[in-house]
Amino acid sequence: MVVTLAMASLGTGCGAPRSRSNPPRIALVMKSLANEFFVTMAEGAKAHQAANSQAYTLVVNGIRNESDLSQQVALVEQMMAQGTDAIVIAPADSRALVPVLVKAMRQHIVVVNIDNKLDEPTLAASGINVPFVGPDNRAGARMVGAALAKRLRRGDKVAILEGIPTAFNAQQRRLGFEDAMKEAGAEIVAVQSAHWEQDEANTVSAAMLREHPDLAAILASNDNMALGAAAAVRQAGKTGQVLVVGFDNIAAVHQLIQDGRVLATADQHADRLAVFGIEYALKIVRGETKPADMQTPVDLIAANR
Amino acid sequence: MKTSALSQYIGLAAVLVLLVTLFSLSSEHFFSRVTFTTLANQIPALTVIAVGTTLVLIAGGIDLSVGSVMALSAALLALGRVDWQLPLPVAIALALGVGLATGLLNGFITVKWTIPSFIVTLGMLEIARGAAYLATGSRAVFVGAAMGDLGVPLPGVGVSPAFVLAATIVAGGQVLLSKTVLGRYILAVGANAEAARLSGIDPHRVLVSVFAISGCLAGLGGVFQLAYLESADPNAGIGLELSAIAAVVIGGTSLMGGRGSVVSSFLGVVIIAVLQAGLAQVGATEPTKRIVTGSVIVAAVILDTYRQSVGKRRMRSVIE
Repeated sequence: MVVTLAMASLGTGCGAPRSRSNPPRIALVMKSLANEFFVTMAEGAKAHQAANSQAYTLVVNGIRNESDLSQQVALVEQMMAQGTDAIVIAPADSRALVPVLVKAMRQHIVVVNIDNKLDEPTLAASGINVPFVGPDNRAGARMVGAALAKRLRRGDKVAILEGIPTAFNAQQRRLGFEDAMKEAGAEIVAVQSAHWEQDEANTVSAAMLREHPDLAAILASNDNMALGAAAAVRQAGKTGQVLVVGFDNIAAVHQLIQDGRVLATADQHADRLAVFGIEYALKIVRGETKPADMQTPVDLIAANR
Repeated sequence: MKTSALSQYIGLAAVLVLLVTLFSLSSEHFFSRVTFTTLANQIPALTVIAVGTTLVLIAGGIDLSVGSVMALSAALLALGRVDWQLPLPVAIALALGVGLATGLLNGFITVKWTIPSFIVTLGMLEIARGAAYLATGSRAVFVGAAMGDLGVPLPGVGVSPAFVLAATIVAGGQVLLSKTVLGRYILAVGANAEAARLSGIDPHRVLVSVFAISGCLAGLGGVFQLAYLESADPNAGIGLELSAIAAVVIGGTSLMGGRGSVVSSFLGVVIIAVLQAGLAQVGATEPTKRIVTGSVIVAAVILDTYRQSVGKRRMRSVIE
């Protein structure tokens, strides 16, 4: 109780022009909660709030489809209307969400950007600065690609399965894979999108395997697509001959990693990602820190052998 | 009737040959045994779902829930094998049972309150998807080899038991439609429900039957999908109902009901699958894939209306 009071005094002490709730109310606005990654993020956040119920209250909301921008804009507006102190958001689009976040910041609501980084030029043009708390997807993908590169020879042919091409994450991971393959001297013979989907990744991978009979590896921008690629490799009778890597470290790939059918993946600690954002937002609300970008860890996951 | 069906098969086969030729010219690796066996092993789920969709459309209804029901069935099957340790036949029965139950519910609600099936199955699309998320916690479930050999190519043949089963169901569906009493009732109800009722057919029972068949086949689609991909994705099959409808309409089945063929729907499925595989293999860009797929669907249907009008004229000249 004393702690809470102390925090409240800090909050008002820094001269916030708007009265803060006590304890602060934080809104976590996510992408699709039908997506495993965001479910893990949301669960991590809820567990953190339950353990710190004195420190803040939490409302978690997600949208129906990853591409449902207008619904996410509406969610931010609802959160503003409810007297939220801070919005921690994983934007469904790097540009489209900026205007509504500008409105929120004008109302002195603290905004913290997680997961998918808002577009720098758009932010600059709007004259605001939103701190980004999240992993470097490009570096993560480069790390996964480097783990794969140890098993490749120069000139080996590889293919990339891209996520939804307009998504910032998808672009960053593709760039990271390309960086690593360039360093390894591997030849990227195909890059196609499978929209983060297992079934489509299977169809596309099967086609890539037929078109490039000497393909050495498939780099999938998420594990869901890695599952589809691994199934295609098995169906083509090329297990062990064509290596597969993924990204996200979802539970369903653990067995495949043990079996060597997926060589490596990256863990962005989804369960802690939203928590990092929330803790950071709380610090800003209390006036303990000035908003700045903060990088969160990405770890390489590969079989112990 | 016989010659008209034959000319339709020939028309669809011509489209297929055209597509295969184009892709073979664009990629030296397309025209190979591996391409065709892989294709055969990719399509069982869409094939059986298209059989169900064909029957529903002919009866004058529509089933939008098949993609979600497929995902739900696959999810329960995966959980049944991995978490609940059910024997394979029991788990498969569960998947088919869930599909059947959703289909019966679709049919029952549609006839009981005379609500358009578009709305009822749209509701089921949401409910089944939600149930799939709930059951899996929105997480993919990996089953590995726990599904047996259903999706594994038969040695020497190259196609999987799932494909053989799906092809059998296509044949069975065609026999049901053109040789059985239920088939004639389905055609009659779809052509004119009121006239069918006056001639002593109970349209309600016919509708409930086709929705039950469609639901059960969506469940079977889930079984095939899981056997092939080795993991159940709760987001699987989003938009699959539209692929199924596209395949069925390419096959010449009327969206207005009363007319259609199961075998032609199967050819429609193959056309869509060849298109997807071919475009991926030649490395087509995303916009190209979408524009070409859309154009082929519309062109195939235009071709079909042309073929029909020729058929009608011929019929008229025979009558006169």
